[in-house]
Amino acid sequence: MTQTNDFMAQEAEHKTAKKILIVDDDEHFRLGLTPRLKTNGYAVVWAGDAVAAISVARREAPDLIILDLGLPAGDGFLVLERMKTLSDLVAVPVIVLSARDPADNKKRALEAGAAAFFQKPPDNHEFMMAIRHALGETVALSNFLKT
Amino acid sequence: MTPEALARPDLGVRSPQVLSTRPPHVPRGADGSGDVELSPKMRADLLDFDAWAEVLSMYGRTMRVAVALTDAEGLLLGKCQNPQPVWKLVRDAVSDWGTGCPFCITKHLPCDAVAEALRTGTVVVAHDEAGLTHVAVPLALGKQSLGAVIAGQVFDRYPEPLLLRRAAKDFGISAQELWEAAKKERPVAGNLLRASGDLLGALGHAFLQQRLGAILQEKLAETNDRFRWLAEGIRDYALFTMDTTGRVTSWNVGAERMLGYTQAEILGQNFSCIFPPEDIQRRVAEGQLNKALRTGRSEYEGWSVRRTQEQFWTNISITALPGGRESPIHGFAIIMQDTTERRKLAMVLEEAQHERARLQEKFLSHVSHELRTPLTAIYFFTTNVLDGIFGELTPEQHKHLALALDNVTQLKDMVSDLLDITRVDTHKLTLVHQPTSLVKTTAEVLSTCRTNAAAKNIGLHGDFAPNLPLVWADPARVRQILTNLIDNGIKFTPDSGTISVKGKFFGEDHNFVCVSVTDSGCGISPENREIIFDRLAQVQGTGEVSRSGLGLGLFISRELVTRHGGRIWLDSRPGYGSTFYFTLPVFSLAKYCSHIFSGPNLDAGSVTLIAVDVLEVKGGVQADILREIRQILGRCIHAGQDVLLPATGDEGAIVTFFIVACTDPKGSSLIASRILRDLHNFDKASHLSPAISSTTMLVARGQPREQQIHQVAARIESSIQEHLLDKERIK
Repeated sequence: MTQTNDFMAQEAEHKTAKKILIVDDDEHFRLGLTPRLKTNGYAVVWAGDAVAAISVARREAPDLIILDLGLPAGDGFLVLERMKTLSDLVAVPVIVLSARDPADNKKRALEAGAAAFFQKPPDNHEFMMAIRHALGETVALSNFLKT
Repeated sequence: MTPEALARPDLGVRSPQVLSTRPPHVPRGADGSGDVELSPKMRADLLDFDAWAEVLSMYGRTMRVAVALTDAEGLLLGKCQNPQPVWKLVRDAVSDWGTGCPFCITKHLPCDAVAEALRTGTVVVAHDEAGLTHVAVPLALGKQSLGAVIAGQVFDRYPEPLLLRRAAKDFGISAQELWEAAKKERPVAGNLLRASGDLLGALGHAFLQQRLGAILQEKLAETNDRFRWLAEGIRDYALFTMDTTGRVTSWNVGAERMLGYTQAEILGQNFSCIFPPEDIQRRVAEGQLNKALRTGRSEYEGWSVRRTQEQFWTNISITALPGGRESPIHGFAIIMQDTTERRKLAMVLEEAQHERARLQEKFLSHVSHELRTPLTAIYFFTTNVLDGIFGELTPEQHKHLALALDNVTQLKDMVSDLLDITRVDTHKLTLVHQPTSLVKTTAEVLSTCRTNAAAKNIGLHGDFAPNLPLVWADPARVRQILTNLIDNGIKFTPDSGTISVKGKFFGEDHNFVCVSVTDSGCGISPENREIIFDRLAQVQGTGEVSRSGLGLGLFISRELVTRHGGRIWLDSRPGYGSTFYFTLPVFSLAKYCSHIFSGPNLDAGSVTLIAVDVLEVKGGVQADILREIRQILGRCIHAGQDVLLPATGDEGAIVTFFIVACTDPKGSSLIASRILRDLHNFDKASHLSPAISSTTMLVARGQPREQQIHQVAARIESSIQEHLLDKERIK
């Protein structure tokens, strides 16, 4: 879990910032997405496999989880199922962001409890809108109509 | 011998008609005359000496003359029958008589009796130098000369010693001996000889006919044998015939082998035993027989049953056999081929193709997945820098990064196309239909394409007819189609060109909207117009070939348009530009609801709640239009007939109408048709944008009517509440 530590340090600066957990085994993905999330005012933590996803989530209590489907030590669906059984995680919104085909996975992910499904690479604008929406943040009407 | 014949005094030419008259029972043409040229083989067969020998010999002995047969050249065929003593004496003494007349004893004057007879078709009488007489009788079938019969070697007057002495001297034999022989001969009267020539002609002709009949008979038998051999020899095909009532009348070895019945077992039986009972019930074979009756022939594939009750797949060809005067058809000939193996093979092949497509999809899905991961990283890094997250960029840096992003987007589209193409093959290209606004969708696409267009200074314009209705389509797919067409336009349009997108009702069919994308590019030649929608099509020699992509865009677009029920085509003038057109079906609330008001839904005794949110595309809903819709949908209230419409909603931007159809099976179709009519009227105000949802609830049957209505009312109320709450949440 050493990788998450630098983000945890940064998080101290944003005590009030909402926390997003990225569950993805691709380090470049994390490096690419993190700056944008931070610029938008979120704190970011990271987990690289299905097992770490649950333990980091329990420890960090994120406000939202961005979840990949293909993970070491289990897949994203397993994480979604496991979260349902844990009282502290059951209400945390999850956005699935996967390279997999939405035709086969979108419905399944939404049924498993995901708030939204995006295929990689997502449109930055739409993706950020979905994050705000899932976090229950107010969105300007013009932006809403755009999506 | 008639007295008239005897009375004829001259020895000249005889009238030919007598000899060439055919026996009346021989039909015209059947004697091989006229149309058909007799083959040399046929000629030889007709004048086969072995066949003729007996009749000639009998004639010669009866008439006490010598008789011989010649061919059309006048050459002797076989031997001379019943040769006469004087002739024999002279002929025996000379070793070589050459090719002259076989009956003449002559050294100085060649006899042309046979040639003359063949040429004129008449009986010709000739004398030779020894005073012997013979007649040449031509043999002909119609106009075709076959040969001649020669009879004679007799004196027609008392022998003349002077002639005989000269002949003896000519041929080096004893005059005394010749004279002694001649004296013993009894002369035949000239008239009698000529009359016997006539007789010989008639006889010869009759025999010729008989001979012809025999030959034809033999040939027919041979042909029949050959056919029987052929039919029986065909072991891989079942060949059988049946009469018009379906009784089997012939059965070949192949049929026996294929179907298991022997000829003895099946003859006279109805053919239905070789078809499966369910096909007999469905009158499959009967239908095919009727088709053969009508058209003369029918061919189909289906199951057949062997005697062992084993079923096998066959190709069956039925030919109606023409009958006589009484009935036009006297039966059917049936050829069956066992195609079970072929079918199995075809199925295996199909299975293999499916498997290949599945593997290909799996592979491309994997590739797509693997490509997307690094692509995502590149996308994030590029956009992060481009959006200034790490500080301001110089214009030059911005320009280059923007180009990098363009390429990422292109790459992303290609990856998507790859996956789409495999979905086309595995029939997994799915559409999520909904009422879709073309104006809105096009505006979105134009705004995303604007960057690309601006780079080449190309103007992008959208122009849509007012009151353009919504279309029944998948908006994401419509975006994809439009993006493909516009990107294509940008690619092939030179700098400072224009691209315009227009939408209007499709002139040929107002159930469709037609969208056109026109560019001012290089245009497409007629031969390329044919192939441009094909998979991997790339038009050579135009535009930036290096950036032509995978060549899948138009193929996928065509597939998508077709799946929507529309069509896509193009119009182009090379050098002036191209216009691509595609059509999409107009959204119809009536069409959308029709399945709810039909078939099983009606029978079930169900209640359907349809919520229609009406939102005007531009601005707020106008009061008069709303009133109109209220009027239309208001008629849906068919109270007392189990149909209710508590049409109501907010007076804001979105007005919700609820159509409740409680379709009691009793009279339900009548009510359904009324509702559908009213919905059709609603469609006419279709420039309004409805968002629709429907829920169907089953009504418990068997309960008291009042209780049913109460239950239904409660459920409808809760559904409406839920719907309104949902909408509130969305807001």
